[in-house]
Amino acid sequence: MVLRKKIVEKEIHKKQLLWILSAFPIAFLFFAFLNRDALLDGLWTIHLSPTILITDFLALGGIGAAFLNAALIGFMNLFLLNRFKMKINGLLIAAFLTMLGFAFLGKNLINIFPLYIGGWLYAKSQKIHMRDVIAVIMFSTGLSPIISQIMFADLFPTVLGFTLGFSVGVLIGFTITPIAAHMVKFHDGHNLYNIGFTAGIIGTLFASILRAIDKEIEPVSIIYTDSDLSIKILLMVLFLGLIVLGLYINPKSYKQYGYIFKYKGRMVTDFPFLVGHGITFVNMGSMGIFTVLLVTILGGVINGPILASIFTVVGFSALGKHFKNCIPIMLGVMATAFVLGMDLSQTTVIMAILFSTTVAPIAGSYGPVAGFLAGVLHLVIVMNIGMVHGGINLYNNGFSGGLVAGILIPVLDAFKKGD
Amino acid sequence: MRHEVKKICRIVDELTTLLLKEDTNEVDFKIKREKDRTVISIVDYRTTYTAEDVQEFSACFDVQRQHEVEEYYWQLVGESDGDAELTVIGTMIDEASVTLKDGNMYIELVRYRE
Repeated sequence: MVLRKKIVEKEIHKKQLLWILSAFPIAFLFFAFLNRDALLDGLWTIHLSPTILITDFLALGGIGAAFLNAALIGFMNLFLLNRFKMKINGLLIAAFLTMLGFAFLGKNLINIFPLYIGGWLYAKSQKIHMRDVIAVIMFSTGLSPIISQIMFADLFPTVLGFTLGFSVGVLIGFTITPIAAHMVKFHDGHNLYNIGFTAGIIGTLFASILRAIDKEIEPVSIIYTDSDLSIKILLMVLFLGLIVLGLYINPKSYKQYGYIFKYKGRMVTDFPFLVGHGITFVNMGSMGIFTVLLVTILGGVINGPILASIFTVVGFSALGKHFKNCIPIMLGVMATAFVLGMDLSQTTVIMAILFSTTVAPIAGSYGPVAGFLAGVLHLVIVMNIGMVHGGINLYNNGFSGGLVAGILIPVLDAFKKGD
Repeated sequence: MRHEVKKICRIVDELTTLLLKEDTNEVDFKIKREKDRTVISIVDYRTTYTAEDVQEFSACFDVQRQHEVEEYYWQLVGESDGDAELTVIGTMIDEASVTLKDGNMYIELVRYRE
């Protein structure tokens, strides 16, 4: 058993951590200002879109509007974390960066708001504080397209659609906390995007209801394919900044970085607590740079879906992911895609490569071969599972990861030796 | 339903698994529920853990209560016999003391009712 490492580093307070996280939306705001053509029109378009997978906000509303949307969502969540006086742990870092990433791919202020209201009502009904459920609610916004779909896809008359969409969002926010807590048992904590799995189940239910009343969800594929050089530069600056910050907090974090590889990554591997903030930030920054380089090498374009993938990987690098448990999974996906003759530069394939690291704990717990196998299964499943929920679950890879882990873990456990 | 009793049982389950699997063949547990708190007392007889390990245990439990982690992950506690969810246990308790005495390890965990 690997417990907490004794690390000597500069103490970082709650407020300072909030400022560090705020660097992301501040940078996005600045970037939006640099790309301010039709900024408000783009933002309006983003908010009134059905946002079904895959609706890339960079293509839909323009680069400036997409970054402004992400900045607004970032500031809103930072406000809540500050208001509730939350201790910023690995879980909240992961939740915040996942929110930020998916603000380029489906989330906007209109479609996340009802989920927060539902979460607040759940907290009231249970006589607990909203801060107790805020992490789950932040993640639950992966189901936000169902709200936009009902509100804006012309399935219902305007007022009815808006009321119904809002009500469905509140209902999901109200029920998702106990469902998410229950779902972790299915994959035994080996699928890091547990809400993705939960949202997949809930999304399947709602998609089935819509289909049952003859309201078909039309597939969407709006993907940005233009120049991404300025976005790459922005990401590199942010991720290098994280590494420099990590080295400032713990000057020895470069030498001590290997400590992080001792952790399997299974839920809940809270790196800031276990190895300190210095090593955690170095890990997040390094994983971020690695993902940007990987996308470039594969010939992909950094667009909304890829930004969502990258920020999710970086966020979860504070909660279990590192090179040792991620690379075998990614290799499994890439090898399978290659064998099946897929184009590795395609956005959906790159998304699968990056998001497949949701099952990184399988490689961490059972070794690289099991990790590779998990990657193979992940690609096969993720390419087919979107049709089940009709794209209303943004965390499609988390849904797939839950199934992969739920199938593999009992089998791998059965062949483990010992008591 | 807040599952308060189940959460306490899961903490006990997790620690039973850990101690029997990694350390000893004899463990005593005592759970005392009071009006505003629950105290879990554990005696791990003839422990092989060193003073340094005991300090590490202490550090793991001394995280401060984090309700958001508890609400999301409490059902993982006591689920696996492969990994110990000590970090989650740390977020589910308010006070902890771990001591080594006469070759035994004594753990006392306190969880307040909110």
